[in-house]
Amino acid sequence: MNNIEVKDCTYEYVRRDENDEVVEKLSAISHLNFTIEEGSFVCVLGHNGSGKSTLAKLFNALQIPTEGCVIISGMDSREEANVFPIREKVGMVFQNPDNQIIASVVEEDVGFGPENIGIPTEEIWKRVADALDAVNMEAYRLKSPNHLSGGQKQRVAIAGTLAMEPKTIVLDEPTAMLDPSGRAEVIRSIRELNQKKGITIILITHYMEETVDADRIILMDQGKLVLDGTPKEIFSKVEELKSLRMDVPLITDLAHELCLSGMPISEGILKEEELVEELLAIFGKDSFGEEEAASQAPTLSLEETENEKDKEKEKDFILKVENLSCIYQKGTAMESYALKDIHLSIKRGSFSALIGHTGSGKSTLLQHFNGLIKPEEGEISVHFRKNPALILQDKGFLFWKGKKRKVEKEGVLSFREEGFDFQGLRFKVGLVFQYPEYQLFEETVFEDVLFGPKNQGLSLEEARKEAEEALRSMGVEEALWQKSPFELSGGQKRRVAIAGVLAMDPELLILDEPTAGLDPAGREELFQVIAHLQERYAMTILLVSHSMDDVARYAEEVFVLNQGECIRQGSPEEVFSHKKEMEELGLGLPQIRAFLYSLEEKGLSFPKKNTVEEAKAMILSAYKKRRGGENA
Amino acid sequence: MLREITLGQYYPVDSLLHRLDPRVKLAGTFLFLIALFIVNSWTAYIFLALVLLLLIKLSNVPFSFMVRGLKSVLFLLLLSVSFNLFLTPGKEIFRFYIFKISQEGLHIASMMAVRLILLVLSSSLMTLCTTPNELTDGMEKGLSILKKLHLPIHEIAMMMSIALRFIPILVEETDKIMKAQMARGADFESGGIVHKAKAMVPILVPLFVSAFRRAYDLALAMESRCYQGGEGRTKMKPLHYERRDYLSYLFLLIVLALSIGSRFVSLP
Repeated sequence: MNNIEVKDCTYEYVRRDENDEVVEKLSAISHLNFTIEEGSFVCVLGHNGSGKSTLAKLFNALQIPTEGCVIISGMDSREEANVFPIREKVGMVFQNPDNQIIASVVEEDVGFGPENIGIPTEEIWKRVADALDAVNMEAYRLKSPNHLSGGQKQRVAIAGTLAMEPKTIVLDEPTAMLDPSGRAEVIRSIRELNQKKGITIILITHYMEETVDADRIILMDQGKLVLDGTPKEIFSKVEELKSLRMDVPLITDLAHELCLSGMPISEGILKEEELVEELLAIFGKDSFGEEEAASQAPTLSLEETENEKDKEKEKDFILKVENLSCIYQKGTAMESYALKDIHLSIKRGSFSALIGHTGSGKSTLLQHFNGLIKPEEGEISVHFRKNPALILQDKGFLFWKGKKRKVEKEGVLSFREEGFDFQGLRFKVGLVFQYPEYQLFEETVFEDVLFGPKNQGLSLEEARKEAEEALRSMGVEEALWQKSPFELSGGQKRRVAIAGVLAMDPELLILDEPTAGLDPAGREELFQVIAHLQERYAMTILLVSHSMDDVARYAEEVFVLNQGECIRQGSPEEVFSHKKEMEELGLGLPQIRAFLYSLEEKGLSFPKKNTVEEAKAMILSAYKKRRGGENA
Repeated sequence: MLREITLGQYYPVDSLLHRLDPRVKLAGTFLFLIALFIVNSWTAYIFLALVLLLLIKLSNVPFSFMVRGLKSVLFLLLLSVSFNLFLTPGKEIFRFYIFKISQEGLHIASMMAVRLILLVLSSSLMTLCTTPNELTDGMEKGLSILKKLHLPIHEIAMMMSIALRFIPILVEETDKIMKAQMARGADFESGGIVHKAKAMVPILVPLFVSAFRRAYDLALAMESRCYQGGEGRTKMKPLHYERRDYLSYLFLLIVLALSIGSRFVSLP
């Protein structure tokens, strides 16, 4: 039976001027036609601005189509009387976990929906209990939502719609603001609802991995439906997807690449297990690359010179942390270590990554780096290339406090040095927080980027020059510079905000989850820009990320933080070779590496690599060798 | 600093006070405040303080947690106490430079301090053991008479509960924005008043933008869950008085009566 029917549906946003005259019409959705079967699991994909969110709102009559109609369980959303019955049938879960919880106690929030539709009291209690049970949140029913993690909040939001006993739940990027473990929790709950309760799920997402278990994928572009089919069908069209600013799961990508290079592998492989099986069928149980690995292992003397090189490099740090500890609520019963005896050093000009699950102390550590939190115990020192002038001295005389003067000093500077200028430090260590676009405030993009350089005390001319360069290097087109930052799209805002930090010409740029909430192409583009900064300006980059794939791809050095301790640092190769530890920490492994491990478990072993390119080259060379051997 | 505000926060434990009908608690707080302003003798203040202590004990909210809420009004407290202390004319008992303290001043200031402390403690006790939703339910039902005058009681109550829910979120957000602007070299500490006021712009604009975005999101979320005002709504936790509620009313009236009575007998 058809649950939702979309018939020749168009939705237009109309912008009017003060005189109520139509300035422009933007059609978010144009002439859509499709139906959704009851009990199915449908994923809607599409880049930012493709009309997905508008579509979601059409499903439960939050928006009424300008043309055509949407029919939900036989009810036309255009009829006023149907609006509330439709909303009862179709529940919605939104992106931001904080902005959709109404009550201050979990159970009361879940009860909010049933209260609105006039369910008798005893029935509400039963529904609340059932709904919380269905998302495994019954233990938290009396908690305040403010004390829950992002994933838990989203599950409460799901329970909130569930309590209204809907037939369909529409989720609009429910995982975009969550960390990987939160994402997994939410997806698991959604899947269970679909399988156990037969609830129709419409999931809008940017994460391709979340779609592999769906019954059907709908791909939107510019308000139109461009692809529609099972995940297998959709992900067979790798090239087409990429041209639509979409991505494919890395496993699919690897399989596709291998297939293109002539290996007998079918298209549209979605899951690890499938590729494992295909490769086993080709190679059988075997082991490759051991000789190679052996030849790679450095001899002892080599190792020694390496060590010496390391010591050389050690001197060339830009920021070094020794014995750093930070204690919250010191001296009370609730005393706890936010950071504990941290040692690390960031090499100048390197691309490093800091990883650790939510609450591991990452943000506390970052704020130490630019002096937002001053070190209480332990030592942080910096060594910048250009003369930093980070020491302030009073020019005063006896009681008269003079204006502070910057004194130039070369070489390594400790934060503990007399008169250390933390304000000045912040211009050298640029810190880009998560969702930096929330800090934009000026009337124009250009003015906003000027804020940092102006604070630096540069002349207007110099400041303008810096701002221009920053905007250019972030790839913000000149046409946008005089626009209000609030008119820009999400991805553009993000770039402007980063440019705002870049304009201060920092030597160390710290980015906290810079790609959160962007679509796949947006993520890719932003990383390109960041990598470019490192190359062109020899800027040192420190990336904080939950995506092990991004870390493996870009970072040269990785720091692993757990419960306030830096438990490991080294190259991605080295860090990710501790498979068990990474899994126990809940951080996981890069997908390709994880795949190679499962391959090994089945008896086919390859050297462990992290990226698609490396794995492809390796498997191909093994394949060629094998073919060569067979032919001879 | 902003995180320490306990005023308007709920402390989730189970206790007699938590289980009381919110209307009782609202009325109780109101009556207690009246009593505070009626009494004028130390004996009566000690009596009211003891009553409050008993209630705090009954509420299972740790006393230290309650006291933390006082910190946020410390400035106000000191200000009003020092005004009373130094500016009340009367018999001089202490003099330092131009500051003089009179006996009457000392008396009024200390009474004022006790009154304010009890006032803050009693109202935060109410919010600590009443969820914002209960509070609004209580208000809505308790004041439902006013609906007949076409006052939008349900809407006001709903707005209050949402405001209370979002206070901690916005406080956290302010903190984040402040740090983000400091990372861009903003300076909130130095400079005169004009400079400081100007320095607030980079915080206030993003804060307002974000508050509006949240309001929009929340409105959507509420609509999608069929919210359509107070009409036809049922209650998950409907209010009805139980024996303990009637007993509490009785207790409150006795406290109030004693307080009023204390004015007619001379007490130290």
